[in-house]
Amino acid sequence: MNLDYLWTGFSVALSWQNLLIGLVGCFLGTIIGALPAIGPINGIALLLPIAYTLGLPPESTMILLAAIYTGSEYGGRISSILLNVPGDAGAVMTALDGNPLARQGRAGEALMISGLSSFVGGIIGVVGLTLFAPFLASLAIGFGPAEYFVLMVFAFATLGSMVGSQPVKTLIGCVLGLMLATVGLDPTSGAYRFTFDSPELGDGIDFVVLVIGLFSISEAMLMLESHAAGTSIVGKVGRTFVRWKDVVFTTGATLRGSIIGFVVGVLPGTGASVASAVSYTLEKRVSDRDGTFGKGDMRGLASPEAANNSCAAGAFVPMLTLGVPGSGTTAVMLGALMLYNIQPGPQLFAERPEIVGGLIASLYIGNVLLLLLNIPFVGIFSRLLLLPNWILVPGILVLSVVGVYSTHASVEAVLLMLGVGCMGWLLRKLGFDMAPIILGFVLGKVMEVNLRNALAISGGELGILFQSHISLILWVLAALVAVGPWVLQRWSRRRAARG
Amino acid sequence: MDAPQRPLAGSLSNRLAALALLAFSLVYGFAGSRIDYAFSSDPLGPRVFPVLLAGILGLLSLIYLLVPGRSETWPQGSVLMRCLALPVLVLIAALLFEPIGFAGAMFVMTAGVGRIFGASWRASLIGGLVQAALWYVVFGYLLDVYLPVGELFAVSRRG
Repeated sequence: MNLDYLWTGFSVALSWQNLLIGLVGCFLGTIIGALPAIGPINGIALLLPIAYTLGLPPESTMILLAAIYTGSEYGGRISSILLNVPGDAGAVMTALDGNPLARQGRAGEALMISGLSSFVGGIIGVVGLTLFAPFLASLAIGFGPAEYFVLMVFAFATLGSMVGSQPVKTLIGCVLGLMLATVGLDPTSGAYRFTFDSPELGDGIDFVVLVIGLFSISEAMLMLESHAAGTSIVGKVGRTFVRWKDVVFTTGATLRGSIIGFVVGVLPGTGASVASAVSYTLEKRVSDRDGTFGKGDMRGLASPEAANNSCAAGAFVPMLTLGVPGSGTTAVMLGALMLYNIQPGPQLFAERPEIVGGLIASLYIGNVLLLLLNIPFVGIFSRLLLLPNWILVPGILVLSVVGVYSTHASVEAVLLMLGVGCMGWLLRKLGFDMAPIILGFVLGKVMEVNLRNALAISGGELGILFQSHISLILWVLAALVAVGPWVLQRWSRRRAARG
Repeated sequence: MDAPQRPLAGSLSNRLAALALLAFSLVYGFAGSRIDYAFSSDPLGPRVFPVLLAGILGLLSLIYLLVPGRSETWPQGSVLMRCLALPVLVLIAALLFEPIGFAGAMFVMTAGVGRIFGASWRASLIGGLVQAALWYVVFGYLLDVYLPVGELFAVSRRG
C-alpha cells in the first residue's frame, strides 16, 4: 500500500507553524467541547472565516479545523460528567454513566478513563482512516458522474434514516440545503437562477454567511432559553488518577466502541451522536449483566467516548475520498475546502498530498497533544464551565460578526447572516436539525452537475443511472438504509407483542 | 415563513410550517420552471433539477402536514422578548458598524446581550467595555484583520 502521502503529511504537520496551529486548535477545541451548548460544528463555523481571512494556506486551515473537531470530541465529556449536560451532541451518552460516577465522588477517575478511551478511539480511528481512505480512493477512481449521483442519493438516504428521530424533517432539511445551492449562476448554460437580479447573489449564497447564521446566531438564541430555564452546579473533579484495574475492565468496551465509531463515521452524513448512541446501546447489550449501566459503570463511559472520537476520524474517509462528508462537522470542513476552490475526491490523494496527508498526520499528533492536555489539565478545563453565559454569548456574537464582515467587508453580509440565523432558530424550534441543510448545501452543486453530466453522456437516457454494478449496489444500499430500520422496528415490535 | 407572534401549540406550529414549506415549494418550482436560458450543453438544462427538488419538497411537506411530529415549546413572556431582543441588538450593531466603528458597535452589542443574559447593568457595561477593547486588540492588532474605525472618527481625524 502506498503511504507516501502520509510522509509528505508528517513533514507538513510537523513544521513549527502547523504544530502551533494544531496545539491552538486542540486547546480551543477542548474548550469548545467542554462548554455546554456549543459543539465542534459551532466552533468550526466560527473559526473558519477567521482562518480564511488570516490568509492561512488550505492545509493549515484544515489542520486547525481538524484539531478543533477532535479537541471538542475530547472536551465534550467534561460537562457531560460534571454537569450532566452534554458538551456536544457526541457526548450525550457519556452523561448516562459519567454523571452518576461524578455523583459518587469519582469524577476524577471518570475523566481519566474517558480521556484514555477517547485517545484509544481517536488513534484507532486515524489508523483506520490512514489505511482505508487510499483504498476507497482507488475504488472511487472508477466512479463516473452516474455513480457519484447515486452515491449522493445513498448519502441522503443514510442521513434520513439514521439522523434524528423525525426522518421527514431531516429530508426536508436536505432538500432545503440543495435548493439553497441552486441559487446563482449556472455554469453550463449561463443562466442566473433565483438571484432576483441581485449582483450579490450571482455567485450564489455564501457558505460562511449560511454556516455562521445557522450555527451561531440561532445557537445564541437557543442558549437564551436554556439560560432562562436555570443554571447548573459544577461538580468537583476530585482526585485524578487511573486505576490499572479500571483500564483492564474497560478495554473491551473501548475497543468495541472504537470500531463501531469508525464504521458509523465512514457512513455518509452520520456523526458522533449516532456513533456514541449505537456503541452505548450495543455495549449495554453485551456487557450489562448486573444492571449497572446508567448507574455509573466505567464501561458505559468508555464505549461512547471511544466511539465519538473514532467517528470523528472515520468521518474524514468519505469526505476526503469521495467529497461526501461523513458528518455535519465534516460538511462544514468540506465547505471550507471549497472556499479555497478545492473539490475533494479520489484525485486529492495524488494531487494535493500536503492537504490530505497533512490533515491525517495532524490527527495523529493532535490525539497525542490532546491526551497530554486532557490528563493533567482537566481541572483547568472544568473551571471554564463556570464561565457565565453573559460573557460567553456576546463573545460568540463578536466572532460571528467579525468572521462574516472580514470575509466580505460588507454590512449586507452581516444582515443576511442575521436573517439566516433567525430562520435557523425557527426551524430548530420546530424540531429540524441544521446539519442536513449544510450537507445538502455543500453537495448540491456536485449532485446536479453529476446528474447532468451523466445524462449528457447517455444523451438524456435515464438508464445510465442504473447501468454499472457500482450504481446498482449503491441503489440497493440506499433502499436498504432507507427501509431497513423501519422494517426492523416493526418486526421487533411484532415479536415483542407476541411475547 | 412568518415568525410566530405568540406561543403556538406543537402540532399547530408544525402544520403552519408544513403549509409554508408547501407554498415555498410551489413558488420555487414555478420560478424554477421559468428560468431563462439561451442554450445548454446538456440535455437536462438548468430547469429540471430545481423543479425536481420542488416536487420532492412538495411531497415531503405533504407528509409533514399529515404527520406533523413534535417540536419544542415556544418561549413565552419575558423569555420571548429577550429572544427577539438578541437579533435586534445584532442588527443595531451591524448598522452601527461602519458609522461608529468596530469597537463602539461591539460595545453596544456585548453590553446589551450581556444584559439580556441576566448580567446586572454594571456588569454588562464593564463586560461590554472589556470585550470590545479585548477583541479590538486581538483582531485589529494581533491578527491584523481589517475592521472599520468608524466614519465619524475618520471625518474628525481628517478635519
